[in-house]
Amino acid sequence: MWGQYSYGILVVLVAGVIAFYALARERDDLHKLLLLDLVEIVAIGIIALLGTDLAEALILPGLTVGIAELLALSQIYCTKEGICERPVRGLNIEVIAKGDAPLIISIFLIAYGIILSGFTGGGVAGLGLIFLFISRMYREDINLLEMASGISWALWIFAFFVFMFLPQYWFIALMGAAIGILLKVTAKMSLVGTMWGEHRD
Amino acid sequence: MINLIGGVPLYVLEFGDELVYFTPYTITLFLLALTFTVLVLISRPEKQVDIAFGGDAYRTKEISVSEMRFRRFMAIACGLATMGAMVTGDIFNFTLFTAMVGITNVGIVAAVKSLHVQDAAYQYGLVALAATVPLFAGAAIYAAVTGSLSMIELMKGTLPAVPLIAKGMLMLGVIGEGMAPFYAAKAEMFRAPGAPYVIMCSLSSLLLFLRVVEIVMLG
Repeated sequence: MWGQYSYGILVVLVAGVIAFYALARERDDLHKLLLLDLVEIVAIGIIALLGTDLAEALILPGLTVGIAELLALSQIYCTKEGICERPVRGLNIEVIAKGDAPLIISIFLIAYGIILSGFTGGGVAGLGLIFLFISRMYREDINLLEMASGISWALWIFAFFVFMFLPQYWFIALMGAAIGILLKVTAKMSLVGTMWGEHRD
Repeated sequence: MINLIGGVPLYVLEFGDELVYFTPYTITLFLLALTFTVLVLISRPEKQVDIAFGGDAYRTKEISVSEMRFRRFMAIACGLATMGAMVTGDIFNFTLFTAMVGITNVGIVAAVKSLHVQDAAYQYGLVALAATVPLFAGAAIYAAVTGSLSMIELMKGTLPAVPLIAKGMLMLGVIGEGMAPFYAAKAEMFRAPGAPYVIMCSLSSLLLFLRVVEIVMLG
């Protein structure tokens, strides 16, 4: 077991050295940022190599911190290069039957996400909603989605309090946490899809 | 070994996976961070004055209230993250707090409407982003070798010894989040106006360094 772990770490370290070498040679600011993101994804492999439940619990915050830094830095990059006022008009996905195809794919993804439930399910269902919003260019009421996200987050936290203080009701807490995180991640991801570089009024 | 630096924990709070403990050493660091956070909260920011050499001319820089409000928020968030890093008894939580200090340090100066300050903040942000790699990797190797992330468990001395590379990576990560030699990237950031907020940048990284020395001595 230790042997496998060591080999895994060796592979990650070699990948890290290659990426940092590329970083040292790179002069363009934006490319530096992209390379660093690549290094970070590789480095998460070190945590994943633990191969336990603990590792899974550690990867999520690690990934979140990485994404937060990436978002902050790209915002600074946009400001310093003066490219903030360039509206993004969604992706131009060429679909022959624009009315039906995205809807069918989205329904499939959302149904699959609900079956998966939990964090992964929320990710899949959110992807379905993003796809729908991008390809149809919906103008939805964002405030409603934000409220749904907030309420489901509160449900998730409440379920955790049940876990801590009333462990005998673990089943209801489990269900509450699974549904809460599913709704939360779905709503948040679809917000990413709709708020993409557009100004809110 | 811990007795040399931190002293015996006076108080240990275990709440689920979360673990907080106080030693005389960490209490001192915690109080320092708390004091500066309160100072940031109540103090009025400076107005930067440029004096033209060889003449009597000077001009104050225009700073909007919303910009200062944002920077105060970031400075307070930085203080809170520093306080968390001072008292936490979990190595992974420590790395998360450290990464958050890195983000808020960038945030403190990023709102300044000045190109060279933003450029410096971006470059420093790249260093901080790169530093999260050894930071999390170090914590992961801690967990892999000892099977625990709790500093209290490490303190007992019953766990396997932590390899030097894990300690080195943890140290490198904290250094990258704002200490020398990467400090050079931060020097330009300090030209940003707003005295009490900018000081939070250097104070937080100093306190982090003092804490990581204690952590590395464990286990």
